[in-house]
Amino acid sequence: MAQVLLKNITKRWGDFVGVDNQSLAVADKEFLVLLGPSGCGKTTTMRMIAGLEEPTSGEIWIGDHVVNDDLPKDRDVAMVFQNYGLYPHMTIYDNIAYPLKVRGTPKADIKPRVEKAAEQVELTEFLHRKPKALSGGQRQRVALARAIVRTPKVFLMDEPLSNLDAKLRVTMRAELKHLSRQLQITTVYVTHDQIEAMTLADRVAVMEKGVIRQLGTPDEIYNDPSNLFVAGFIGSPAMNLINGSVKDGYFITTGGTRLVKVDGGDRAKVILGVRAEDVDIHESGQGDIDVLVYAYENTGESVMLTLQFGKQRIIAKGDRHLRKDMDDVVGLRVNPDHLYLFDSETEERIRY
Amino acid sequence: MTGKQRKQFWNVIQITLILIAAFIMLIPIIWIFLAAFKTHVDVYQLKLFFTPTLENFGTVFDAPYNLGNKLINSTIVAGVTVLFAIPIATCAAYSFSRFRLRFETSMLVMILATQFVPAVVIILPFFVMFRDLGLLDTRLGLIMVNLAIVMPFAIWMIKGFIDGIPLETEEAAMVDGSTRVQVIRNIVLPMAAPGLFTAGIFCFIIAWNEFLFALILTNKDAVTLPIGLALFKAEEGDLWNLLSAAGIIIMLPMFILALIIRKYFVQGMTMGAVR
Ligand SMILES: Nc1ncnc2c1ncn2[C@@H]1O[C@H](COP(=O)(O)OP(=O)(O)OP(=O)(O)O)[C@@H](O)[C@H]1O
Ligand SMILES: [Mg+2]
Repeated sequence: MAQVLLKNITKRWGDFVGVDNQSLAVADKEFLVLLGPSGCGKTTTMRMIAGLEEPTSGEIWIGDHVVNDDLPKDRDVAMVFQNYGLYPHMTIYDNIAYPLKVRGTPKADIKPRVEKAAEQVELTEFLHRKPKALSGGQRQRVALARAIVRTPKVFLMDEPLSNLDAKLRVTMRAELKHLSRQLQITTVYVTHDQIEAMTLADRVAVMEKGVIRQLGTPDEIYNDPSNLFVAGFIGSPAMNLINGSVKDGYFITTGGTRLVKVDGGDRAKVILGVRAEDVDIHESGQGDIDVLVYAYENTGESVMLTLQFGKQRIIAKGDRHLRKDMDDVVGLRVNPDHLYLFDSETEERIRY
Repeated sequence: MTGKQRKQFWNVIQITLILIAAFIMLIPIIWIFLAAFKTHVDVYQLKLFFTPTLENFGTVFDAPYNLGNKLINSTIVAGVTVLFAIPIATCAAYSFSRFRLRFETSMLVMILATQFVPAVVIILPFFVMFRDLGLLDTRLGLIMVNLAIVMPFAIWMIKGFIDGIPLETEEAAMVDGSTRVQVIRNIVLPMAAPGLFTAGIFCFIIAWNEFLFALILTNKDAVTLPIGLALFKAEEGDLWNLLSAAGIIIMLPMFILALIIRKYFVQGMTMGAVR
């Protein structure tokens, strides 16, 4: 039973601001994902919760008391490190058993728990080896096993699946999801993999340059981004972001093309956001405007078209049976039901 | 010449050069080895074949030479020096490596700088101080001097090994529930062990071979092996056969340590990080 609370947390090194006056409440049993590009402060945030980094200012709560002055060992958290942090002189068994041993777990309890944790991450056959004799992915799983062998108040996981191959990543993801539902332990999980964030999270905090830009369910983050950064960061391919203005109920690109009908009043400088799947492709002449195929990519499950009109390019996702070639002319229609408008200056969402 | 022949030719040249170099370096040692088993008469003839005798090794331990006492002195002085130097240096090295201390760089440089002071410059003050403290010609005094000599070296060397332990390993142990002391005992010491061992052996060798301070600060009771060699200057000239036997006794532990160190040194140097 433990919520994690960050109150106006700042971390500064000299002039450099790693985390900038952020507040965050992770509910008890919640699975919260910190998502963001490299260097945005995810690991720093997590290390402050673990007690490995002291915040420059602000309060950290775990459960119902402030832990700012508690040593890492007294915070009762388990952490998976980005670079594993294994004990190279111990066998895998001893690595996984260490948190139990050092916290004085009865001898008889240790063995079954270590074996169970090893089984959950598919490591049973390596228990007698040293970390040096494991691959990167296997080491990462040792780090994972060492975290789940105990029942802490909070799990802190820093990109725990980053070094696994695609297949193992999917199985471990499912395993983690199952585990977190089963154990019901508050988890803070760092990743820059969107799919991981979307599939695992109860809520996602999208970070940029030490600031949480949006906090919401995966659904909210994807379908209701509150600013330009989140809109552009979430989704693959990235959302089309087109500069232009709104005039007489239409969005006009900077190049002067009247693209799509939007509600709301006239605005001089806006950015229109539209996802690739909301750009419809028709035969030439049957869309709102005719455009040129700049590139055609077939991914198997769908096709991606990069379309060009004037200097503007836009990516569209089409039916997997669609066949086009470079320089073909197609009709384009932007679905007016799923559009996002952003203020060019503030980069905030304009809701209308 | 074909390419293969040329390669062989160069190989032969290389090996010959190495052998010559090795031979030149080994001559004194070979000479000592031969002399140690010769009689006083044979020493002055560069005979390669002679009837070897163990007599010299017996003589050096008898009166008036009593090399046994010196051997004991050397062993105690070097051994106790290492026994104190390594734990103390480890504490210092850990602090330097892991904590941000005030004046850290200056302190490190100063520790190193003590090594640059020529021993002859400070030996007189040492003599005067030790005379006043009654430490002249005592093992305790020599141990203190040797500690001062090996400490900077030990601190720098061990710091290098501890720097090589990834911080994340220690942090993981702390989050897993260890106190700082447990981290040091369970993680740092085992991981740095080959390094501590290597540093220990180096310190032992330095203390074992230390000559200048022992020469000035001892005269009877606490005389060490290197000083003991001077005993073999007799009126009838240098007793080379006895000198050589004593030399071998001094070198023997070095040979053994060099063999041990070879294994640990490599291990210590390549221990590195496992991510
Ligand atoms: N000890 C430090 N001193 C100075 N700057 C630091 C320190 N630790 C981290 N930083 C800086 O703080 C910023 C955030 O680092 P952090 O490790 O939290 O990034 P991250 O979001 O985890 O990135 P990644 O996805 O690459 O792991 C980075 O720009 C980094 O350079
Ligand atoms: Mg990170």
